[in-house]
Amino acid sequence: MAFELRNIHKSFGALRVLDDVSLALEEGSITVILGPSGCGKTTLLNVLAGLAAADSGERRGFEGLRFSYAFQEPRLLPWLSARENAAFALAGAMRREEALARIDPLLEAAGLRDARNRKPSELSGGMKQRLSLVRAFAYPSEMLLLDEAFTAVDLKTKLELMDVFLELWTEERRTVVSVTHDVEEALYLADRILVLSQCPARIIESLDIGLGREERAFGSATTMEAEARLYALVLGKTAGSSD
Amino acid sequence: MPSTLPSEPKARKGADSARTSRLVIGAASLVVLVLVWRFIAFLVGKDILLPPPEKVLGEALSLYPTGKFLAALWATFLRGSAAFLVSLVLGSFVGIAAGLSPVFSAALAPILTIIRATPVLALILVVLLWFPSGFVPVFAAILMCFPVMVTSTVAGVKAADPRLLEMAALFRVPRKEQLRRLRLPAAAPFFLAGAKNSLGMSWKVVVGGEVLVLPFRALGTGMNNARINLETPQVLAWAAASVLLCGLTEWLFGLAIKAASRHGI
Repeated sequence: MAFELRNIHKSFGALRVLDDVSLALEEGSITVILGPSGCGKTTLLNVLAGLAAADSGERRGFEGLRFSYAFQEPRLLPWLSARENAAFALAGAMRREEALARIDPLLEAAGLRDARNRKPSELSGGMKQRLSLVRAFAYPSEMLLLDEAFTAVDLKTKLELMDVFLELWTEERRTVVSVTHDVEEALYLADRILVLSQCPARIIESLDIGLGREERAFGSATTMEAEARLYALVLGKTAGSSD
Repeated sequence: MPSTLPSEPKARKGADSARTSRLVIGAASLVVLVLVWRFIAFLVGKDILLPPPEKVLGEALSLYPTGKFLAALWATFLRGSAAFLVSLVLGSFVGIAAGLSPVFSAALAPILTIIRATPVLALILVVLLWFPSGFVPVFAAILMCFPVMVTSTVAGVKAADPRLLEMAALFRVPRKEQLRRLRLPAAAPFFLAGAKNSLGMSWKVVVGGEVLVLPFRALGTGMNNARINLETPQVLAWAAASVLLCGLTEWLFGLAIKAASRHGI
């Protein structure tokens, strides 16, 4: 495994958030971290990205790594156009002309070509999320982190967004870590799903999805078994958690 | 694709209607002020104490076209503009540096406190010993406006959304680009509020300073000469010129900001 977290502990004051979390990420794969709301998923992602320091434990293989991050809220600069927002993130990575040449096809692929000169206040919620994904993809990172990137939109937009994401990822495979509380979303995207317990979070299950993506349409019979198992894990732990 | 965008013509119509309401309310407030003035002047009954508005207007109409007045107006305009521009530029640079550097900010804090606490009158009397009288009001206005600009700019630079700063740090956006594209635009509303306050203050301090040090050509000098001659309507006509100058420059400043905003600056 290329990247590893070992025995990570993290507390905020008296609140223990991460409790001995260890995980390994395979290069070029999509790992989805699934867990109930408020269990510490974002904290785990921030520890991965180096935005938050763990109280103890080890990060291995992350040295010098560049991260892209699609945040839960899109974090766009309100005074810049969609195109300029994406270009802003690339300012330290390449020249402006190169950045724009990289961004424009991604905006097109994400269905934002006509909206590229609009400011965030002129974009719908789904468009902002798409722009956040475009920005993350455009940045030449080795690891892409997604924090509930598909949850703040309606079902149709969510499906469109996930398809845009998979399309972009297929063209340029990077190591992806996505956190979500949505079982169906996890099943749709992941090569591997790690299930977190209630807070303080521990990994209680690691599930490799052995299906091709074309076989796992939303609600398809082939994914039912895995879906039932994941719901049992999430709900079982939620109902009977003694952590 | 879901659309949550507001209807543009509706939003524009709403903004136009709000602007018209503001104008009507502002004009009504002015009319009330003049009526109250007229009423009090009627009660007082002595022009030397409080002349009625029509008398001040008549005085202004005969004073404003004269060469003496126009020369004084121009000189005061130059002093106020110079004080404002120097405060704006100096205050912005110092404010940005203080906003970005806690050490510089800590070093600057006592100096700003001293400048703020110093009475402008005492300052003018001392500065009169150092500089020619025409420059004293400018210097006093700079010292009054500079802390306002610094404080506003510091507040603006610190007001940048920490989540946006975290995003920029994660994507390793260079500091210069972060300053240009993130911190400065975030600081703009604070900066503009500070600039507007400084603009108004610079006229007040410059004219006040002129009344004290009496430069050769100045609105303040004209005002003081009229006072010595007990020409109260003329004192108020000179004062009205200062008010008009302040209002006009604030309006022009507002237009410049709108134009800059339209061009994405």
